[in-house]
Amino acid sequence: MIAIIPDILLLLFPFLMLAFKLFLTQAQTAHKNFAFAYLFILLICQNFVLIGDTQVYFSNWQIDTFGIFMREIFTLSALLALLLSENYFKHSMSEKPKLFHFSEFAASIGFATFGGVVVVSANDLLTLFLGLELATIPMYALVAWNKRDSEGTEAAIKYILMGSVATAFELFGFSYLYGFAGHLTFPEIAQALQTNQASPLIWISVLFIISGIGFKMTLFPFHLWAPDVYEGAPTPVTAILSVTSKSIAIAFLTVLVFGPLNAIHQEIVPFLALLAGITLLAGNLGALSQSKLRRFMAFSSISQAGYILIALLGNSPEGKYAIIYYLFLYTFSNYLAFFIFSTISKDQSETFISLNGLSEKSKFLAIALLIALMSLAGIPPLAGFFGKLQIFTAAAENKHYFLILFAVLNNVLALYYYIQVLKSAWIDKPAKEIALSVSTKQKTIILILTLSVLLLGFLPFLSNNLSIALL
Amino acid sequence: MTLLHCLILAFILFTIGIFGVLTNRHLIGMLISIEIMLNAANINFVAFAYFKAQDPTAGTLFSIFSIAITACEMAVALAILIAMYRKHHSLDVNTQEINHE
Repeated sequence: MIAIIPDILLLLFPFLMLAFKLFLTQAQTAHKNFAFAYLFILLICQNFVLIGDTQVYFSNWQIDTFGIFMREIFTLSALLALLLSENYFKHSMSEKPKLFHFSEFAASIGFATFGGVVVVSANDLLTLFLGLELATIPMYALVAWNKRDSEGTEAAIKYILMGSVATAFELFGFSYLYGFAGHLTFPEIAQALQTNQASPLIWISVLFIISGIGFKMTLFPFHLWAPDVYEGAPTPVTAILSVTSKSIAIAFLTVLVFGPLNAIHQEIVPFLALLAGITLLAGNLGALSQSKLRRFMAFSSISQAGYILIALLGNSPEGKYAIIYYLFLYTFSNYLAFFIFSTISKDQSETFISLNGLSEKSKFLAIALLIALMSLAGIPPLAGFFGKLQIFTAAAENKHYFLILFAVLNNVLALYYYIQVLKSAWIDKPAKEIALSVSTKQKTIILILTLSVLLLGFLPFLSNNLSIALL
Repeated sequence: MTLLHCLILAFILFTIGIFGVLTNRHLIGMLISIEIMLNAANINFVAFAYFKAQDPTAGTLFSIFSIAITACEMAVALAILIAMYRKHHSLDVNTQEINHE
């Protein structure tokens, strides 16, 4: 009965934030501190949920080990996004007007996080669909949070049009899946798939579902909205889009592919492999010629989505484990990069040029940036390398050597553009001096994130514990 | 009326929706096209529930839930559209681009 308590606490969080806004109008900083403390305590609570057999509540709320780890990733991402957004509510950043309404902002993030939790606990198609929508609808509002910034509104329009079309595709796919199986619950769909496989209905359904979720996960033919939306949205929202929204989409695919569709896993795999390969290449090629940091992070996260998709080619426990480990280090590295971008963008926009001379102004920030980007690129002693290793091992078990080779070669491309960012931080001289002001709080967070990225790489036994829990 | 008729109707509606999203230059028109696509899926659910499924309640319930979800989505979309209209005084995609330059 214990395992469901953190979920209920998470569901309470947005309502508490809204209630505070209504009844305690004066205490602005108290709101913020309450939100940070609440999510931090929630994260600790989630760590104490015992990992063990799958537990089922209310007939379709299913908590398994994969779900518990994904919950931690979502909560961690929400906490870091709120910490990142703090400065954006204080003054204008990155040449955009300052944000307002922190409580509602936190509540929307809370709802989106709960949507992710619903996705990983779903045991039937209806719950899965509701979870995904609960996770995306607040995101549309978050992108348009800055009403006075016309770029943000435009980005939100693009996002909501694309997202609604994607939802229609998913719903259409679900309707065929329901027509094929005659039931909505996962065990019965799996059973129907095992008894009669050769129906064209199931292929149409899978095609629709994957193209629908491809929009949200920014897979290749559907990735074009990402750079515009990531650039137009406020920076904390960009961070949460690239981490929470993407992990929810990946969790959705994992739940489906290793759950009800496991019987046709071998038949879906070539399709996924093709998507993963092209997504990698498209993301990497797009990132080569960027000059704005958020646009660059969009393309970088597209190629990261390609890497994570490779893990789905493996078998169930190893593939899931690789996905969780990679998402953890992706969360840490990505937020580390975004925190550093937020420190330089107080009086200037977030471009490669504003990074110039960072190594002279603050060695600490420059080294943290080095660690974040090298981890994203996958350089050996850092966490990113072990994450990619796990993903490739999972895929190698099913003998997808060609795709792995392609992904490794792509990594060389990726290294080029990550080093370009480092070049502008370490080598290029700034045109004019702009003083850097970093608060102690920001420094502490950056230090903690840097240590986490280092430790995840240097202490492989941490990941071994994870694998023992899961395998 | 058989299951096939309903499925064909739903598929035609879905195609009309996609065509509308791709060709419409007005944002409200695009939203209406998206609504048509979503409702095509609802017709599918109800048709499968009526003619074929072993568990008909689930399918009909799904369509009711998806109508509610769509309403939420459109509420957010319209809120963003109003914010946009206040900035640009137009909801035409073509003129948006010109204003932006």
